[in-house]
Amino acid sequence: MSYFTEQDARSIIRNAYGEVQSDDTKVAASIYGAEEIAGLPRSAVTLSLGVGHPVRHAGLKPGEMVLDLGCGAGIDTLLAALAVGPKGKAVGLDMTPEMVKRARENAVLMGLENAQIREGLMEENPLPDASVDVVISNGVLNLSTRQSRVLAEAFRVMRPGGRVSITDLVLAEALPEAVLKSPAALAG
Amino acid sequence: MLLKKFFNVGFEEIDVVERTPFGLEDLSRYPLFAPDFLDFLRRVVPSERHRELVYSITIVAQKPRPATTF
Repeated sequence: MSYFTEQDARSIIRNAYGEVQSDDTKVAASIYGAEEIAGLPRSAVTLSLGVGHPVRHAGLKPGEMVLDLGCGAGIDTLLAALAVGPKGKAVGLDMTPEMVKRARENAVLMGLENAQIREGLMEENPLPDASVDVVISNGVLNLSTRQSRVLAEAFRVMRPGGRVSITDLVLAEALPEAVLKSPAALAG
Repeated sequence: MLLKKFFNVGFEEIDVVERTPFGLEDLSRYPLFAPDFLDFLRRVVPSERHRELVYSITIVAQKPRPATTF
């Protein structure tokens, strides 16, 4: 159950992620290997806001097409683009214009022509049917008030036999209602 | 609950391959959470849950291939 309408939730999340600033690498260092981080642009690392490492469990192979739902500043999209190589492709999808801009800049900084960043909603996925081998996502599904719709859209764009590797936060037990009603908790 | 959503849209071979507790200390690393919000959490969430507020899980699953007929 969500205490926010879809529109309110989007507005809160767009504002929070659009305004977020960070100059340290604590989050990324707690998730990714030093050798992975070393090859990435600094802003992809300092704005790493994920909660795990879906790329590690995705079993990516050269030539595959990957979709990263809620790519943020692009850290997982970039790692996926490296993993699938020049014959593959990684598409990062995000609804926050500031994050889309940062992710595009990071892809350019790395010279990754097989990384494409698109602005859009994961509930209204802009990719065509059966066009993706692997869907990844990192700490984003919980931000949607329509998680089943997000998953149905992921399913639609995947080819038969395609895989998902989705990292997200879940509650072990209910949190106090005051927390669940907090916009700050929603954005995280 | 989340796994059921994967199942309901048609995924198969659904598995949780990683499950890590996430506590207040973990959240404090994220620039999304202001210090006053973290203080709010410390006040309203029972202290025994401060180390396990939520879990980070990684779910893998597959879209079925069409059945082969002979």
